Amino acid sequence: MDWLEQELKAALAREDPPADFAGRVMRRAERPVVYQWPRWLAAAAAVVVLAGAGMGYRQYRGEMAKEQVMQAFKIASVKVNRIQTHVLEVAR
Amino acid sequence: MKPFRALVLAGCVAALANAQQFQFNLDHLAAKASETVDISLNGSMLQLGAKFLDPKDPDQDKVKKLIGGLEGVYVKSFEFQKAGEWTPADLEAIRKQLKAPEWSKIVGVKSTAEGETDEIYLRSQNGKITGVAILAAEPKELTVVNIAGPVDLDSLAELGGHYHIPKVDVGKQK
Amino acid sequence: MIELQEARETALDFAELVKEHQSMVFSVCWHFLHSRDQAEDVAQEVFLGLHRNLASIQSAAHAGHWLRKVAVQRAIDAGRRRFRRPQVALADVAEPVAPAVERDPMLGETLRRLIATLPEAPRMVMILRYQEDLDPAEIGQVMDMPVATVKSHLQRSLALLREKLARRGLREDKWTG
Repeated sequence: MDWLEQELKAALAREDPPADFAGRVMRRAERPVVYQWPRWLAAAAAVVVLAGAGMGYRQYRGEMAKEQVMQAFKIASVKVNRIQTHVLEVAR
Repeated sequence: MKPFRALVLAGCVAALANAQQFQFNLDHLAAKASETVDISLNGSMLQLGAKFLDPKDPDQDKVKKLIGGLEGVYVKSFEFQKAGEWTPADLEAIRKQLKAPEWSKIVGVKSTAEGETDEIYLRSQNGKITGVAILAAEPKELTVVNIAGPVDLDSLAELGGHYHIPKVDVGKQK
Repeated sequence: MIELQEARETALDFAELVKEHQSMVFSVCWHFLHSRDQAEDVAQEVFLGLHRNLASIQSAAHAGHWLRKVAVQRAIDAGRRRFRRPQVALADVAEPVAPAVERDPMLGETLRRLIATLPEAPRMVMILRYQEDLDPAEIGQVMDMPVATVKSHLQRSLALLREKLARRGLREDKWTG
């Protein structure tokens, strides 16, 4: 191994996870399993639940709008962030 | 009765009014895409969504502040299994619209190694920002975003730091 | 009575497996995702997956191989799910114009940052090579990738890193470590 490979070994040496990582894993493992609904089914179930709870169509629309708002801004912010990274790297 | 009906109709039309500032014309790509994101939120939908944002959640709180005063947010993003599904003509059709006098390109970055092209355009009227257009193109992904209204680009970029993405130290831009 | 004993042994074994492999799993995720929070989340999911599939694990060695493979897959998936971090191609990372320095005390951090900018496949290949000390054939098995492709990723990544470091004034002959 040459010097770079030795440095890479040092730089990529294993690191310990945060304290009590193992404890957190064990506690989660002991919890009852929750079935992971597919997303579309969860959305459909949400509609049924909301309708059943009498929360109405407006509540449902609001929740859906909120999800779309968050997704839209996530996409926009990631793209702007990436573009600014490129600009700063080139400008250095 | 009649005037009331007219008022209700006008209200409905206003609610449906689209504040999108240029046409994307990218629907033909949906059939080729493995994943498509298509978001179209006019002012009233934005305000409705904002009401359900939780100010205790830092991400949602930031977005809630960004939304204030916006007239619409429109996103089309396509991911493809292979390169070559979108063509330069797809982007040119959008760029032509962004040559209108109210638009100015503030950033254009091209990486030939990665085949990436990224552009940001600002729309302004009377010295004030009234919209942003973002074009982000990679061989297997194409994203176009239009945010209509007074957008704070720095705050938008700062959001990136909240989505487990390293924050970029942005100097204040003139 | 016998069933109770088996259940206890399984629980003990799982805890031992977590203790033995947590550094490996966490480090694969951390070096790939470059976010400690995300790395911990993904690492936890990997171990929970092991817990759910414990009955199909044949031996302690099998568990280690299983964990490594799943950690690699989950880290790559997490990297993709996260709306793209501003990943700059290594070749596009501009070099500072500062004069060459004898030694960069932050070389380790510099290397980790440069590795984090690699595309996902070469990035994971480098991690498995230099963190886990796997040879190309072993890396190919973990990543379901032809050995020739693994070797190509290694060669190209090392060449790019050397070039980037050389421009920063870091070369073997100047290294006084």
